[in-house]
Amino acid sequence: MQKQTIDILTSFSKAQKRCVMGNVAVARGAIEAGVNGVFSYPGTPSTEISEVFNFVNDFQSKKDFQKKYPKQTEHKIYFEYSINEKIALEKAIAYSIGNKSAMCVMKNVGMNVASDALMSVTYQTIIAPLVIVLCDDPGCFSSSNEQDSRYWGKFASVPMFNPASPEDALLMTKTAFSLSAQLRLPVIVRMTTRVDHSRGVISYGNFDPKETIAHFDRLPQHINIPARTATAHKTLLDKLDSELFVILNKKFNTVFPSVKTGKEQMGIIASGVSLVYAQELLSRNSETKNISVLKVGVIHPFPEKDILTFLKKGIKRVLILEELDPLLENDVRVIIQKNKIDCEVIGKGYSGLNVTGEYTLDIIRNVLEKFTSYSLCKKENQPLPDVDKLLASLPPRPPTLCAGCPHRATFYALKLAVPRENGNIILCGDIGCSGLGALPPIQMIDTINHMGMSVSMAQGLSEAMHLKPEQGKVIAMLGDGTFFHSGVASLINAIYTRANITVIIFDNRTIGMTGHQDHPGATQHSKYQQIDIYSLVKGLGVECVETMMPFNLKDTYEKVKNAINHIGVSVLIARAPCIFLPEFKDGALVRKSLHVDQSKCNTCFNHCDVSISCSKEYSGKESLDRARAKVVAKVQVYAQEQLCPANICNHGFFNSILSKNYKSALEIVRDKMLFAAVCGDVCHKPCESLFRTENGKSVPIKKLKNFVSNIEDNFNDFSKQISRAKVSNKKNKKIAVIGSGPAGLSSAYDLVQAGYDVTVFEKNASAGGMIRFVIPDFRMNKNNMDKEMNVLKEMGVRFKFNSILGKNITIEKLSSDYDAVILAIGMWDSATLEIVEKNVSIGKKFDAINFLRSYNEKNLKIKSGSTIFIVGGGNSAMDAARAAKKFNKKNNVIVSCIEKTDSMPAFVQEVEEAKREGIRIIDGCFADLIVEKKNKISISLKSFDKKKYLETIKADYIITAIGQRGDASALNEKLSLDTNFRVKSASKYKNVFFAGDIASGNHISLIGAIGSGKKAAVNARKLLEGYKFEYEGEFALDKLSNSENGNKNILKKFETIDFEIENVHDFNLYQPCAKCDHCIENFGCPAMVKVNGKIIIDDKRCTRCGLCIDVCPNGAIDWV
Amino acid sequence: MTKKSKIIIAGVGGQGVVFLTEILVDAAIRAGINAATSEIHGLSQRGGSVVAGVTFGENTFGFVENAAADFLLGLELLEAQRALNYLHCNSIAIVDNTKILPHSVNAKKGVYPDTEKFISYLKKNIKGTIFIEEEFLGLTPVMRNLVVLGKAASVKSFPVKSKFIEEAIKNNTRGDAEKSLKVFREALNSVNKIKAV
Repeated sequence: MQKQTIDILTSFSKAQKRCVMGNVAVARGAIEAGVNGVFSYPGTPSTEISEVFNFVNDFQSKKDFQKKYPKQTEHKIYFEYSINEKIALEKAIAYSIGNKSAMCVMKNVGMNVASDALMSVTYQTIIAPLVIVLCDDPGCFSSSNEQDSRYWGKFASVPMFNPASPEDALLMTKTAFSLSAQLRLPVIVRMTTRVDHSRGVISYGNFDPKETIAHFDRLPQHINIPARTATAHKTLLDKLDSELFVILNKKFNTVFPSVKTGKEQMGIIASGVSLVYAQELLSRNSETKNISVLKVGVIHPFPEKDILTFLKKGIKRVLILEELDPLLENDVRVIIQKNKIDCEVIGKGYSGLNVTGEYTLDIIRNVLEKFTSYSLCKKENQPLPDVDKLLASLPPRPPTLCAGCPHRATFYALKLAVPRENGNIILCGDIGCSGLGALPPIQMIDTINHMGMSVSMAQGLSEAMHLKPEQGKVIAMLGDGTFFHSGVASLINAIYTRANITVIIFDNRTIGMTGHQDHPGATQHSKYQQIDIYSLVKGLGVECVETMMPFNLKDTYEKVKNAINHIGVSVLIARAPCIFLPEFKDGALVRKSLHVDQSKCNTCFNHCDVSISCSKEYSGKESLDRARAKVVAKVQVYAQEQLCPANICNHGFFNSILSKNYKSALEIVRDKMLFAAVCGDVCHKPCESLFRTENGKSVPIKKLKNFVSNIEDNFNDFSKQISRAKVSNKKNKKIAVIGSGPAGLSSAYDLVQAGYDVTVFEKNASAGGMIRFVIPDFRMNKNNMDKEMNVLKEMGVRFKFNSILGKNITIEKLSSDYDAVILAIGMWDSATLEIVEKNVSIGKKFDAINFLRSYNEKNLKIKSGSTIFIVGGGNSAMDAARAAKKFNKKNNVIVSCIEKTDSMPAFVQEVEEAKREGIRIIDGCFADLIVEKKNKISISLKSFDKKKYLETIKADYIITAIGQRGDASALNEKLSLDTNFRVKSASKYKNVFFAGDIASGNHISLIGAIGSGKKAAVNARKLLEGYKFEYEGEFALDKLSNSENGNKNILKKFETIDFEIENVHDFNLYQPCAKCDHCIENFGCPAMVKVNGKIIIDDKRCTRCGLCIDVCPNGAIDWV
Repeated sequence: MTKKSKIIIAGVGGQGVVFLTEILVDAAIRAGINAATSEIHGLSQRGGSVVAGVTFGENTFGFVENAAADFLLGLELLEAQRALNYLHCNSIAIVDNTKILPHSVNAKKGVYPDTEKFISYLKKNIKGTIFIEEEFLGLTPVMRNLVVLGKAASVKSFPVKSKFIEEAIKNNTRGDAEKSLKVFREALNSVNKIKAV
């Protein structure tokens, strides 16, 4: 830059060729004209002009450079980025009145802000030359409209140049200064994007600035009062009639080709870049030399004489080439009509000559070929085939916020903090980088108008809608530059009128969009004083003002929430540097790289096997719920840690409940197993040991399961499961399941959905096994259980009841008749106590299973008011005890067990329940002596260490509940069995798989049985179809079997809590469902790229802001 | 009088499209060729598409119309395809194997075009295609543009001779001129392999 600055400040006695941008040519023109001060507001496409002076100013103010480059630093040029265009122009006017030449630079819409100053000063006077550069933007590449600034010439009665090329830009700017000096009138140089931003080879001329002496003359024209304005208007118009224009027009309104053929009948009048297009195109065909072209460089005052002379050469058809409005065209038509010239005018509406959009070489070529009938392109260069079709298929690439942009961070926090679904909160955006928040995937802006409008829009809308505080709020969002440009005035109005709005200032310490210019809130120059936005706003009287660091997501989120809840004006300053600023880069360099753990990203841990259905559809709203939960939650449990032995996706389940989608929650359970209601009633909920909040409160997954199962319409609808089984890919293989307990039925449920032909053999007359016959009905809803089991029939599972292994069915035959056999026959053999067997007569002794079965089948016969003594501390002991109590409340029920209460094998909640129901538990003891006398059983209890006699109980009945044993004798083969006669190793039949209680090592619980049934189904599939996945619930199942997770000590820590479904949000627990895409759908960092369904971070594009770590709902991203 | 020639440079904001235009016109001036460029910026820095034209010879002003570019310098595959309308049957395309996925592709709202199909389309329909597949180890992505320029300059009919480009690179004021020169030269002289720098 320094080199370029020296070059631009260097005088060349002989013209030097340079290839520069139109904007740089303007700057050089001003320098050659000896400009003293430049005032501007940045705005594309004008910015590079100002930037030259920004650098010049910097360069000239450095002491070293003053020494080293005395010539280049001698003539000091004052430069400032004023806070807006109006102030820039006002200050430039004042500068000129102080006898210093000035230039004021802005984009097209800038003049709308500045025009007040322009419209009056023309009636008065300036002293030193003042040139205004306005840069139009036909095609709206970077502007909010494509207004035609040429009207300002007419409107304000000021001379206007319209350069067609960088070369013109230099010459015309330079000339504008001398014209302005002579007329004492501002002169406008009107550029367009195409001329601003095209580079061409031009000649730098000489300049020899003479220092002007600043002074102020007390002229009457400096006081603008109505009495003087009428005459002032006449004086102004006289200035435009000046003889000076004759010379100027000769120089800038030229005709080519200069050699006349005498045959010219066709003429072209062109201005701006269209002229250059015409010049290039006509040069391609020598036959066009009899077409005469008039270039209009001075467009105001309108060069009537030049046009008249041109037309009077005998031109019969004249083509007018000008972008945007038909200004020239209309004036030409007036001249023709006034002078009665016989000439056809061709302009707007002809071929592709539209009022809107930018003209291109293609448009002008088509126009000229039609107008002249000459070919103006190379015939041999054929266009490529199907290009239009190809181009239409390409994905668009709109501008995005940069990787690491603090605005994205603020928008993201806003997205979480502001519920957009109900539409109550309106977001008013503004011009600049922050406006990119309107585009996908952020889409957090509802309105964008002109610069600074956001704050006015918010207060106006708020007023119009009379929003009550609970109805939502209107939020204005604007950049720091925009705030100083015009937002601050509107903020004052909001404070003054007690508006109820929140203003978020996106303070990225610079004016970002135009290439990082200073503003009062963030200046790099010591010559300027910095204005602290916080103090300013506070000083204006806003009570609720907060500065936030947008990369601190939680803090930003909370501050946004608070600000919105505040009634009245609240202001948030989201302050973090733009990534192009040194402050950002310094911070980023020291940080490490970011890495995405592919095993966590966008992966459902329940779905290694994608052929297994998931009821959870992707929903943007739910994804936001989750991200919000992550920000709010103090405890985070990631998907891979969810512990259901049946592999139920607890995250998806809980998330669905959070978003009140109870049907979806139920379906998520049913995706994995049939027994939502049964589990809701009797599962011992090992998962809840993990799903706990900060205070150790466990999330009541079981209760929630119960809740979703009790919504009758949802519960009765099994259509999804039935249709899955129907449409499954049929394997044409038969599987026999022996035993219809939870293990067997869970195998059957999975296998029928996987396309197998499943037959269940059951020794009883109805299905259910232990859960039907043993679990007492006060613990579960048997109706719901029946419904769940009946669905299997509808899904295509066949049942063969009264099939007894070893009698009417044999394993030998089944394993040969069927492709696979799942053996889940349970443990129905009760362990017995010799002391009971010997000493108690039949009718007074029961084993727990038979007792419960009789209870459930309602054929239990015991006297009311009896004392029932139970031996055992397991779950069946508790069930039997409670059943005995339920059977008749007068019954006195006593349980004795060898363990201490806190280490009883029964689940804690069962023990607690039993105690609550009035059952006495004597722990740490054993029956030392049992004697039956006079219909009473006398039991003498001793402490477990045999040291102490405890007491003697007189009971009427005794129930032994000391555990079950396996009975695999019906298999008729040698099997390796454990101490409880459970099968340790597989049978000789390769296609027989063991599941549930009969298989050694399986956890004896409902969920343990379900998990093992599912695992057996997976093993069968591995054998029969080459299924390659392990059972996905293996981790949890394994943990359960090893009693880590089945351990009641863990469960003991958590209190059972009462809760209402409405309060489900109180669990400040973050539950990510890994079916994700959250970052792509809501965050959209350009450094995040999706490859094969997973996110990777493009290290080359990543700026190491690290926010994605907090954004990722699956915790997959971290520093490496 | 120099033969007229036009180049289109296409890429994503931040890849150095504008830098290449500056180098090319500077080189042209050094070679005594009239040159001009035209570009869109403003939003280009924010990751949007950027297309710039460079033209050589009298009565050209940097503008390139449809089917009028003799060379395409494609710094990114999708953007190179977006510039296909500028090519004609006698064009030469130098395309780098760099993919920058736009958001629409990440969000599954658009499909990134197939590279192989594109390259075979070029090979079938234009005069010459150079597809740069070599890895340039240790090279910052911003400098890939010089690889493309180097490969382009190795084409005989390229309008500016490499020695003038080298001079222009040496005298450029942005970045590390020496390293840029090294990258350019290596790409220029490479037949196939480009070593690490």
